[in-house]
Amino acid sequence: MASVKLTGVKKIYDNKVVAVHDFDLDIKDKEFVVFVGPSGCGKSTTLRMIAGLEDISEGTVEIDGEVVNDLQPKDRGIAMVFQNYALYPHMSVYDNIAFSLRLSKVPEDVVYDKVTKAAETLGITEYLMRKPRALSGGQRQRVAIGRAMVRDSKVFLMDEPLSNLDAKLRNQMRAEIILLREKLDTTFIYVTHDQTEAMTLGDRIVIMKDGYIMQVGTPTEVFEMPKNLFVAGFIGAPQMNFINTKLINEGGKYYVTPFGVKLPVEGEKAEMLAAKNVQTRDIVLGVRPEHIRLAEAGEPAIKTKLLVNEMMGSEIHLHVSTEDETRLIVRIPTVDLSKEERNAMVAGHELSVTFEGKVMHFFDPESSENLLV
Amino acid sequence: MKRYSDMEYLRLSKWQKFVYKLVSFLVGIPLGIGHFFQKIGIAIKDGFLKIVAEFKDIGVTFIHGDWKTKVSYVVMGFGNIARGQVLRGLLFLLFEAVFIFYMITTGGYWLSKLDNLGDQGPVEVYDPVFDSYKTEYHDNSFKILLYGVLTVFFIVAFIYTWRVNVKQNKISEEIIRSGKKLRSGKDDLKSLVDDQFHKTLLALPLVGILVFTVLPIVFMVLVAFTNYDGSHNGYSNALFTWVGFKNFGTMFSWEVNTAAGLQSYSATFGEILVWTLMWAFFATFTNYFLGMGVAMAINKKGIRLKRMWRTILVMTVAIPQFISLLYVSKMFAQNGLINQMLMGMNLIKNPLPFWTDAIWARVTVIIINIWIGIPYLMLITTGILMNIPADLYESAKIDGASGWKQFTKITLPYMLFITGPYLLTSFTGNMNNFNVIYLLTGGGPTNAAASGAAGSVGYTDLLITWLFKITTGGDSQYYLASVVGIMVFVVVALISLVVYNVLPSIKNEEDFQ
Amino acid sequence: MKNEKRHMGLKAANRLSNTAIYILLVIISVIWLLPFVFILFQSFRVESTWQVGYIIPQQWGLQNYINLWNSDFKRWYLNTFIIALVSAVLVTVIQLCMSYTLSRFRFKMRGPLMRFMLILGMFPGMLTMIILYRVLADIGLTQANAVPGLILVGVASSGMGYYVSKGFFDTIPKSLDEAARVDGATRFQVLYKIILPLAKPIVIYTILTAFMGPWGDFVFARYVAMGTSAGYNVAVGMYSWLTADQINNWYTTFCAGGVIVALPVTILFLCLQKYYVEGVTGGAVKG
Repeated sequence: MASVKLTGVKKIYDNKVVAVHDFDLDIKDKEFVVFVGPSGCGKSTTLRMIAGLEDISEGTVEIDGEVVNDLQPKDRGIAMVFQNYALYPHMSVYDNIAFSLRLSKVPEDVVYDKVTKAAETLGITEYLMRKPRALSGGQRQRVAIGRAMVRDSKVFLMDEPLSNLDAKLRNQMRAEIILLREKLDTTFIYVTHDQTEAMTLGDRIVIMKDGYIMQVGTPTEVFEMPKNLFVAGFIGAPQMNFINTKLINEGGKYYVTPFGVKLPVEGEKAEMLAAKNVQTRDIVLGVRPEHIRLAEAGEPAIKTKLLVNEMMGSEIHLHVSTEDETRLIVRIPTVDLSKEERNAMVAGHELSVTFEGKVMHFFDPESSENLLV
Repeated sequence: MKRYSDMEYLRLSKWQKFVYKLVSFLVGIPLGIGHFFQKIGIAIKDGFLKIVAEFKDIGVTFIHGDWKTKVSYVVMGFGNIARGQVLRGLLFLLFEAVFIFYMITTGGYWLSKLDNLGDQGPVEVYDPVFDSYKTEYHDNSFKILLYGVLTVFFIVAFIYTWRVNVKQNKISEEIIRSGKKLRSGKDDLKSLVDDQFHKTLLALPLVGILVFTVLPIVFMVLVAFTNYDGSHNGYSNALFTWVGFKNFGTMFSWEVNTAAGLQSYSATFGEILVWTLMWAFFATFTNYFLGMGVAMAINKKGIRLKRMWRTILVMTVAIPQFISLLYVSKMFAQNGLINQMLMGMNLIKNPLPFWTDAIWARVTVIIINIWIGIPYLMLITTGILMNIPADLYESAKIDGASGWKQFTKITLPYMLFITGPYLLTSFTGNMNNFNVIYLLTGGGPTNAAASGAAGSVGYTDLLITWLFKITTGGDSQYYLASVVGIMVFVVVALISLVVYNVLPSIKNEEDFQ
Repeated sequence: MKNEKRHMGLKAANRLSNTAIYILLVIISVIWLLPFVFILFQSFRVESTWQVGYIIPQQWGLQNYINLWNSDFKRWYLNTFIIALVSAVLVTVIQLCMSYTLSRFRFKMRGPLMRFMLILGMFPGMLTMIILYRVLADIGLTQANAVPGLILVGVASSGMGYYVSKGFFDTIPKSLDEAARVDGATRFQVLYKIILPLAKPIVIYTILTAFMGPWGDFVFARYVAMGTSAGYNVAVGMYSWLTADQINNWYTTFCAGGVIVALPVTILFLCLQKYYVEGVTGGAVKG
């Protein structure tokens, strides 16, 4: 149970490639923090620096207020779950889980208690005498978690633990990790490339790209107020729609003009724009697919043509093309459409869409920063 | 040469593509070599700058260091001891003491004689008591060179250690200034099985390599610049001394005046080099392709008893080569089993000249080498062949590729890609394949035209067996052997350089990774 | 109907090509084994000691093996056996240290060290024979004392041959090391508890090759022994039987010696064949 503090952490490889730039982050005790980003963004490298598996080129990592830069992994009070599980192939499940306890010379009967308790929690008691190769992917994953559990560590590190599992198992394990977290009640740092995992698991999410932190925030914060185009595009599925257009300030009232249709900005967003006294300018307008709806008759609407209709079950994803061939994605709950309406949704079908003024996001086309952050 | 863009290249005909690739390859060789020397130049420059930086750091450390650091410049390890790292400090101090003791007692002597490898050779002294002459021995050039080189090694090691000692003082000071604790001797010992474990593991192997590989090689390279031979053995008959590049001159001038008349070393060298390269080429590629063929035959679906076929071949790997090679060598001799049997069956009248005719001998060693080499290659290629993803073949079959096409378009490129480095080492290994040649033919049959310059030379002699003959021959021209050895190194290094630097660029297309 | 016919054609073609392959394999097997069969037969031939034009002895007997027993062969065999045994242990330790380190640790001098050894390897080893001989002579390890001398030189320079086992270590996932280190193992414990148990095939391979090497060691061994029979190994000793002036007296004894040398090595080899193959082909760790 400990806080983790990274100050100006940098990773420079021998070939002068910088993998992580000035990483600053304060992780509170018992917090669940997720590092998320596309592959090569430096998230795993950062985690491995915390673990001590990778040298820290610059900056300091503190665990519980103690600088651990020069400590060996084993002396940092951490436990880690690896992406490919890293189970010792020549040891039984029991020996795998007991390995760390035996190394620290814990008496055998304590080892027995701890291992069986962890196995019970994870539901792998019946496999204790098996070798890892005789286990399924999900079972191996549990053993890997069990091995980390018995260490009673201050910080629990997980490096893409679910990425080798199939979709169904992944959902199931995700739920179990949430339960595990409640049970262990310790600090978690979790690395993933999957934004769904990040959103569902994390107290806070650190979104990274090319070695830089793009945004740190709670799932709600990063979803509702993405700091820049990258975060806006990365969080949320299907991806947010981006439209190059103009923001117009007409005497304190704001409008956007996507595809020549003039739509008012409303609510909180309008107030924020006014507070910042934003003038008329070019912007990238961001609208999430679920915020676009079919326009009712008479409403100002964007004319589009349907390209592809993806029936997802509870919702329908419509890929549409505007008159200037910009592609948009529209996400509509299936129940909102009648059967006739649904049947009419074939390629080439003409659709008028619109969206509310309170769900818009405004980005600077040059810096790609959110105008309101 | 015109460079095509990707799109242009795709429009070329098959023949044009081939020519383009070939030209790119040939152009690439000098470019690659140029690039290599450029890299060496940069490395030298970087090294020089680094040394300058080191000197600067030594000075800066001295100026800014406290008195403990300053004393450490003379008494190594003093700073460590004064700051509580007794174990480290004592080791430094011990090393310095040993070094000084060695230099005073013996090292200085060897070093002082190194400039001309001894002044006083053996002399005949008249002994009035017995009324006879007896030889008094003085300097020993061989030992001077050997221990001189060793002493130089030792000095380099000392300078390096001294530098580490200075650097450690600087680091210790920094650590103390930042308020942290220094590592204790116990920590140091612990780290030898943990974060410094690699030093523990490498210590023994590297000392072995240094003393029994590096030192001898440095010594023998230096011998090329002396006149060390049977009649100047450095002790009992005459001293040897430095002669500069004279031996290289001898090797590369077309005609040299020797006691035995005009001789041409370079012609002999050239002739042997050509055969060495030919041999290495055939030995490598016959084995490679035939071994692959056998492996594919055994691997083929539907062939039973795979294990047995493999075991039969592999068994021959187990039998020490000297037995099989010597036996086979005698089998093919004039009066050997083969000739006697063939004559007994009246198939031939006169024995076949396996070892007595130049061409016969060369072909026979290559063929026997196939017999020796195929089992290894079969093993190596079996593993790789089984690793070729089966879906490549399945998709090729669906695309309509015949068996032969599958081999040339999938198997072969894949194999060449994976085994490229192996082929290179195998080629250079064959250039130096002493055992096969020496045990089979001993280098024979004698090549009268080439012999003479440096003893007797045979048609199947490789550079390496020639080298051996020179050292063990009548006048033991060690200096010449050393020159040949250096030339072998140069040839091997050049080939490796070309292959490493040029091949990958034209192999990119076949990227199976 | 038509389909079936085609199918049959495919099968027949396959059978034909398989038959051809069987014939080829039989021929290859015969060629590869025959010389060894010859040696075996000739080692039991008693009617003459020189080379003859037939294979099956006219008179069978153990005379050649008795000759062997009465010659210096015993000493040579013992010498070789000692060298092989000691080398097998020491060479394995050294090569594993070297290859494990170069596979697992990333230290500053790693790259330069590997490049340096690559370049060293391009010098013909033959070149260093003279000086190694003189060094051994200086410390009294030549001629009758050739055995420790050969062991010393063989073991000391064996670090250069780390390539095969490094290749094997490279296939063991690094995350195993990392997991163990997080679990609290020192580097030494990682090697001892995790890597070595997984590296069994390559350990056996290294022992096997290190053990087999000295049986064929010839040039340097001859140089070091310098004509003193007590310091010969089997290769040097038996070579002396096949020189032009000796061969007619010793040819069949040579064959007997060959059998005695080859037999134990071959049996050992066949027992451990699996590991040898795995080592040569760089088998991967399953898990």
